[in-house]
Amino acid sequence: MHVTRVEATPKSGPGLRDVRGDVVRRQLSADHNLNFTAVKTIVGFLINSDVPHAEITTRADDLFADPIIEHSITNQSFLGNKEIFSETPDAVVSVGFKPGVTDNPGKAALDGFRTIFPKASLDSDISTYITYIFYGMPQGTSTEWLSSTLYNNLIQRSFVTDGEMCKSSDWLMIDYPEKPPQEFKTPAHVNLEISNEQLIDISETGLLALNLTEMQAIQQHYRNPEIRQLRQAAGIVEDKPTDVELECLAQTWSEHCKHKIFASKIHHTDLETGEQSVIDSIFKTHIMNPTHDMQNDVDWLLSVFHDNSGVIAWDDEWSVCMKAETHNSPSALDPYGGAMTGIVGVNRDILGTGLGARPIANTDVFCFGPPDWQGEIPDNLFHPSRVLRGVHAGVRVGGNESGIPTINGAIVFDERYLGKPLVYCGTVGLMPRKLPDGRESHIKTPSAGDVVFMVGGRVGYDGIHGATFSSLELTEESPSSAVQIGDPITQKKMIDMILEARDLGLISCITDNGAGGLSSSIGEMAEYTNGCKIDLAKVPLKQPGLSPWEILVSESQERMTVSVKPEDVEAFENLASLHEVEATAVAEFTSTGIFHVQYDESTVAYLPIEFLHDGVPQLELESEWKIPKHEAFDPPQTADHNSILTDLLARPNIASKETWVRQYDHEVIAQTAVKPFVGVNRDGPADAGVIAPIHGNPRGLVVSCGIAPRYSDIDAGAMAAAAIDEAVRNAVCVGVDVDKIAGLDNFCWPDPIESEKTPDGKFKLAQLVRANRELERICRAYRLPCVSGKDSMKNDYGKGPDKISIPPTLLFSLFGDHPDVRNSATSDLKNPGDKLYLVGESLEELGASELAFMMTESGHAAGIGGNVPLLTDPNRLFSSYRALSKAINSGVVKTAHDCSEGGLGVAIAEMCIGGRIGAKIDLDGTGNTSTWARLWGESLGRIIIAVSPQNDAKFLEHMAGHTTTLLGEVEATSQLSIVDGFDELISIEVNELVTSWQGTLDLTGGVA
Amino acid sequence: MYIPKVAVLFGFGINCDHETAAVFEMVGGKSTRVHLNTFISGEDELSNYDILAVPGGFSFGDHLGSGRLMGNRMRFSLRDELLNFIKSGKPIIGICNGFQVLVKTGLLPGPDNNEPDFIQRASLTLNDSGRYEDRWVTLDFNKDSNCIWTKGLARIDCPVRHGEGKYVMPDAESLANLANNNQITVRYADPKTPQSDSHNDEVLPFPLSPNGSMMNIAGISDKTGLVFGLMPHPEAIYAQWLHPDFSRGGAPTSTTDIEWEGQGLQIFRNAVEYIQSTR
Repeated sequence: MHVTRVEATPKSGPGLRDVRGDVVRRQLSADHNLNFTAVKTIVGFLINSDVPHAEITTRADDLFADPIIEHSITNQSFLGNKEIFSETPDAVVSVGFKPGVTDNPGKAALDGFRTIFPKASLDSDISTYITYIFYGMPQGTSTEWLSSTLYNNLIQRSFVTDGEMCKSSDWLMIDYPEKPPQEFKTPAHVNLEISNEQLIDISETGLLALNLTEMQAIQQHYRNPEIRQLRQAAGIVEDKPTDVELECLAQTWSEHCKHKIFASKIHHTDLETGEQSVIDSIFKTHIMNPTHDMQNDVDWLLSVFHDNSGVIAWDDEWSVCMKAETHNSPSALDPYGGAMTGIVGVNRDILGTGLGARPIANTDVFCFGPPDWQGEIPDNLFHPSRVLRGVHAGVRVGGNESGIPTINGAIVFDERYLGKPLVYCGTVGLMPRKLPDGRESHIKTPSAGDVVFMVGGRVGYDGIHGATFSSLELTEESPSSAVQIGDPITQKKMIDMILEARDLGLISCITDNGAGGLSSSIGEMAEYTNGCKIDLAKVPLKQPGLSPWEILVSESQERMTVSVKPEDVEAFENLASLHEVEATAVAEFTSTGIFHVQYDESTVAYLPIEFLHDGVPQLELESEWKIPKHEAFDPPQTADHNSILTDLLARPNIASKETWVRQYDHEVIAQTAVKPFVGVNRDGPADAGVIAPIHGNPRGLVVSCGIAPRYSDIDAGAMAAAAIDEAVRNAVCVGVDVDKIAGLDNFCWPDPIESEKTPDGKFKLAQLVRANRELERICRAYRLPCVSGKDSMKNDYGKGPDKISIPPTLLFSLFGDHPDVRNSATSDLKNPGDKLYLVGESLEELGASELAFMMTESGHAAGIGGNVPLLTDPNRLFSSYRALSKAINSGVVKTAHDCSEGGLGVAIAEMCIGGRIGAKIDLDGTGNTSTWARLWGESLGRIIIAVSPQNDAKFLEHMAGHTTTLLGEVEATSQLSIVDGFDELISIEVNELVTSWQGTLDLTGGVA
Repeated sequence: MYIPKVAVLFGFGINCDHETAAVFEMVGGKSTRVHLNTFISGEDELSNYDILAVPGGFSFGDHLGSGRLMGNRMRFSLRDELLNFIKSGKPIIGICNGFQVLVKTGLLPGPDNNEPDFIQRASLTLNDSGRYEDRWVTLDFNKDSNCIWTKGLARIDCPVRHGEGKYVMPDAESLANLANNNQITVRYADPKTPQSDSHNDEVLPFPLSPNGSMMNIAGISDKTGLVFGLMPHPEAIYAQWLHPDFSRGGAPTSTTDIEWEGQGLQIFRNAVEYIQSTR
């Protein structure tokens, strides 16, 4: 074995350019205002194989370089090659991966290498790098700093040649990253007969994230004489856990997997009302019970809560499911890898639903610090613009390469997300209600004796402790092993294969490997048959030497766990081999009641299934609510509403996200009827995504979301209600059937457990209580079942006075039925003469509004306090939603847009932008409130619609009995004009609106 | 009426196989999604089919250049089968990643003598913008082309969804040759200018040309007119409700009398009818 270096670099000539270099040049300009003359790139391959250098040289242009557009060179570097790089550069930075980090181009290159050299040694491997060559470096730019913008030292290596070294041709060349050998350790026995302090110490130093009560519960388990007897018979250490068992319990009992806060017993005090009460599990009380009640009333809720995603019957033939997840901690440390594993991870949740569903649509919602942040950045974290770029790239690559369209999403900005960005990734799945063999696809059918396969990727040292890590706050010492890069193509191959296996009837049970790895996936499935027996020695590894506990809990990506009847094993293995997907039998289901893990012949874990899953003690917590104090928002007497409008449109929370969203494939599968951007120039905002997933059939699905984290500053209950209402409103705007909608609740909270590091834990927990009480109230009123959800409860950075906690944030995602996508409405104004109406009413609710934040930040107002938008009568709103939806579905209304951040003023401006057309409206009669509240207030339940004159009467018939106010009409002008009776408020060119709205977040640096 | 058998390739990251299979069925074909390895192993044979479609996607993650690794698998493991398929007068389409695959195998644009030699003569490389984008473009078809896939098409709207769609050739001569042979089948166009017979060789500004392709090339065919590849996705406008102007009442209609049909379907119908007419 020896290492051969091959490099490729773009040819120059008419019409040819170095695009990779151009992108880096533009980003340095867009992000840092640094203008380089040129940036060039070299792509490098380090091939570790037994194929002679000379043979590789002759085939370099068949594989590593494209001879039409690239030069290639073998066994040397282009650096210093005067023919290609005649000028001496100012700096050179080579970036490659650290040993053991997923190198997708390297993997692909290895596959191509084997096509050309089928006899190459099986140990062959390829590592890749990119070299950036900088010319015309602006004065004062440090080469080290430049390098730091190009790589992430958690996962990558950088080799830097500075200006002086360039002049003397002293190039620093990146070398092959040899993996350090892993040391195999036979399972240790952990003595738990120690003091409480020592128990906590074991948990903390081992990153187990277990509290004292939980450690004591484990201690007790090993004191039980019956358990000791069982263990003796099984041939495992009787009176103490092995490290495998302790790790397995820590993963299974982690906050991430067990949702211990949502399951806790809460003693709630409301200092405002004097209420004292006990809530025995928020989840059961406020989420599960309402949904189960609704399940009694409808026949389409097929599977809720217990599977990887919630399933509803869509029509007689098909069912749909949806799931959303967060990947916050990994995305903070490695935005690209963290976000990519987020999206491909939630895809696997869909694949692991029932007997396997096909992922057909993604949603992505991000919360970041301000993109133009000028202040301090916490140690170990990145500037928000870099987090945005990285997260976006990860989600883009993960979604696009998997062939799943991204049809809906949002990006929200607030300073407090500096400490932890939120990365929500959702996926919708589709499955036939019945498989060809007659089984219902949403029901898993495992039996004892079934063979359990691990399918897809291999297990490596990457991804150890993800579940427990995300159950702790971020610190500067957060571990790099919890960060991974996804491999969407390995996963895509696996998805293709598994869906074929499903249709062939080969799958009896399936789940994904996410948090907790095999320990969780096999452990959860073993609950069905009440037992399993795993042999860790059979698990294929990325590198030898992993110890048993590491194999069991590693969260290495792209893996599903699938059980197959013994008679189907051969067919399953053949199918895997056709698809070049690795599938290895690693376990079998039993009915012994035991989670039994072996390494070869020796038993390394022997845990009763019941203890593993139900042994975690219930937390008891205290919450205490008192109203947070804010200076009231008091707008000035007079103001220039034109500039308020353009300023609001340019706020990151409102500004167009088009340059980012357009980089997602939103149309693959040929089903997307309402795309993320709509209108004449296809750059107006869409309220919700609409897809028609059965080819040739216009029946549709609507996917929408709602999020309003800043309302938590006043009341987290109002925040939750607003998020739900926004999701529903958005769906109504495109014409969802409001009688068949289902929701997902994804809570991201700062740590709400009172402790030394969280002195305000009781308040944060009270916020959670209020949010969930509102969630129940609104969902019952909207007859909106929550079919799946997730919570992430430790979204804090650091400890002590510098601690940053995110604002409590609920993302509410919605999916629902659309009877015919041809009757979808969109937000863009269509034709002059169309009448404009406001459905709903504006109240005096400017508290925590975007306007209040803007004017407070600029010093024009004292604070953001005041009335936050509330849903006092959700039943009334819901009936108007039903009426409007019916009007849209009957084809009467083609234009609808909801009022959210920036209120009615911003909503009508966005409608003009989409239509590139003017409008004239009068706010008189839209509510018995101040002009400010009617123009910029964010009262819930409001939708602006446009209707053609010929459909006007029909529309009003549909809306009889619902608050509907004529606003004005669409005009054949280029001007938006807003008056309030005799007062002229706004008169502005639509093009000016476009410029304000599109400028802020276009961080592309152009195309030059 | 004979029902042409269409092999729609999938595997290794191809991801438009379902919709590509569906559109052929809408116009009277019988589609089978076939994993590339099924042909390589001999479990199924390419010669069992009348039409081959290489759909869009991200085969092998576009690493080492889009279509490269998939192209190599076909070039090295399926060479004779592909040669025979073309020699027996059967049409092949490559869409997006499929186009990239056909270019990297050398099937497009192919040699001047109608005898595929699997030599790469052009490339599809990173968009000038450096960005993968999903956006709608307007396409003008070459009415002098002998391509069987594009017969009767003039101008359609379609989405592009690619990061590497810039068509390049190593010298001006090969481009001129391609133009003279009428192998430039389809180009990006400005919807505001009427379709004219004059060739617009000057590269259109972004985003009219989404990638900076030489001579605004969006798709080409081989000398025989049987092998056709293009970056945009005609299968994604099989129905009018997929057009961004649909809710504005402005989705272009197709030339058929099928009420909801989108403009892209005719491409697939052409191939199905071609097979039917040659049998």
